[in-house]
Amino acid sequence: MTIQAEQLHEQLATAVVELDEDRTKELAHQAVDFGLDAWQAVELGLVAGMDRAGKLFDQEEYFIPELLLASDAMYAGLEILRPHIPIDTSAERKSKVVIGVIEGDTHDIGKNLVRIMLDVGGFEVIDLGRDVPPQTFVDKAKEIDADIIAIASLMTTTMDGMAEVVRILEREGIRERVKVIVGGAPVSQGFATKIGADGYASRAPAAVVLAKKLVSEKAAA
Amino acid sequence: MSNYTEKERLLRVLHKESVDRPPVICTGGMMNAAIVEIMKKTGHTLPEAHLDAQRMADLALDIHEYTGFENIGIPFCMTVEAELLGSPVDHGTLECEPKIASEIFPSLTQVEFRDIDQLVHSGRINVVVDAAHELARRRPDVPIVASLTGPVSTAASIVDPLTFYKELRKHPADAHRVLEYVTDLLAAFADRLLDGQGASAIAIGDPSATGELLGPKIFEEYAVRYINKLADRVHAKGAPFIVHICGDVKRVKPQLVSIRADALSTDAMISLPALKAEYPHITTMGNLSTFALQWNQAEKIAKMTRNLVADGIDIISPACGLSTSTHLESIQAMTRTVKEAAPVPQP
Repeated sequence: MTIQAEQLHEQLATAVVELDEDRTKELAHQAVDFGLDAWQAVELGLVAGMDRAGKLFDQEEYFIPELLLASDAMYAGLEILRPHIPIDTSAERKSKVVIGVIEGDTHDIGKNLVRIMLDVGGFEVIDLGRDVPPQTFVDKAKEIDADIIAIASLMTTTMDGMAEVVRILEREGIRERVKVIVGGAPVSQGFATKIGADGYASRAPAAVVLAKKLVSEKAAA
Repeated sequence: MSNYTEKERLLRVLHKESVDRPPVICTGGMMNAAIVEIMKKTGHTLPEAHLDAQRMADLALDIHEYTGFENIGIPFCMTVEAELLGSPVDHGTLECEPKIASEIFPSLTQVEFRDIDQLVHSGRINVVVDAAHELARRRPDVPIVASLTGPVSTAASIVDPLTFYKELRKHPADAHRVLEYVTDLLAAFADRLLDGQGASAIAIGDPSATGELLGPKIFEEYAVRYINKLADRVHAKGAPFIVHICGDVKRVKPQLVSIRADALSTDAMISLPALKAEYPHITTMGNLSTFALQWNQAEKIAKMTRNLVADGIDIISPACGLSTSTHLESIQAMTRTVKEAAPVPQP
């Protein structure tokens, strides 16, 4: 890799972590103009910057507004670089996650963060949105052969819907085919265990680590 | 034997006066005890009681009578204000509380400002105000707590939340304009609740304004600032002001305790005695896990409640919103335990 490429990757990462969408776009255009490998600019620039923002979020230096602005910058850069990525580079099958906020609940900030971080982490994410009935999670997972169902709830009053997703999977005899992870303010590891979910993460970056671990376990099984 | 009525006891605690034991309350709003079991017993049901003052008053009285909570708390949702400001609301069912169907404005920069005087005399604000006055007439001995949605949470219920959180940083001038507007409506709503013989105290819950979501700087700039503005308006009417903040507060403790609340309520994971040891001026309220209330046996709930009383929590209450499937027996175990608690030694 040329020094010029390395420098530009670093600048891209810095622009993302500094929440500077305009600068990110400018640098993405430069990468295209210089004929740099667009895939590398995404991976080593944009995604690296988003990873740093995720770390700052984990350390509680960044909070929701910062993480969202970093992701805006990243996606703005991605939009410019994506048309220049050769198709076969991204042809490898990504693990699939169906994500949504459980029925009765319309608080979707946490779910959106996890969606973004999973996307950055290399997953194909199908977002069902908010207020999603338990059966819809299962139907979508079957339809696309998902590896993981990720369910969020911000309200104690709707948490039973998460248990219902697990029950439906069992009833339909496909519990082994898909991993279930849960999260949200009132949710805990204890609750996840109680309803028979495969995992719980307290924060968005941790959800990505958890998803990767579960997918590799599933592949090994 | 106690000489205090429920109203006297709660108001004394909120005024930092001595009492025989902590009161046990449930504010209404996000933290309401309109459980299915009670509604099935009495036939005063949701969602109808969200929409009619008489029904709201009846259900609130049922909850007071059956649960043993020492207040009457209204309304039973967090959507009254956002609905008036334009967001469509799904009023829910017997089991499921109302929710914002969609936030009406895509951005803080596109909020349409309407006349506060007109807004505050329309929609379900009238239902809640009428219910408060009806309840105060029927039960002058019981404190009527009216629960409003906090300024940040109200704003995040009329503007797409994803955009909202970003724009708090990106467009601070627009954000302040919207927060001012929303706070003006909340203050006018509080005025109407307190005027005449109405609510005895105003409570707010602001779940979209946690330190975890916003970080200390934005929490101070938007949450604390506008909650305090509302606090001053409520205090100007001579009424106490109770604030519930969700989530982990460890990153925002100095900001949190600068809120001019007469009682500060937190989530279950917070140690209120530790917070009080660090900041002795606060009056603590909380914080029995609603997860425990839903799932644990009555005996365990009584034990957890005893611990809260022994820890010197000033007002005992649930830590968050209750599940509508919570058993009445569990809530009664909580309230009974507080009432049986040994009197607090007088200083």
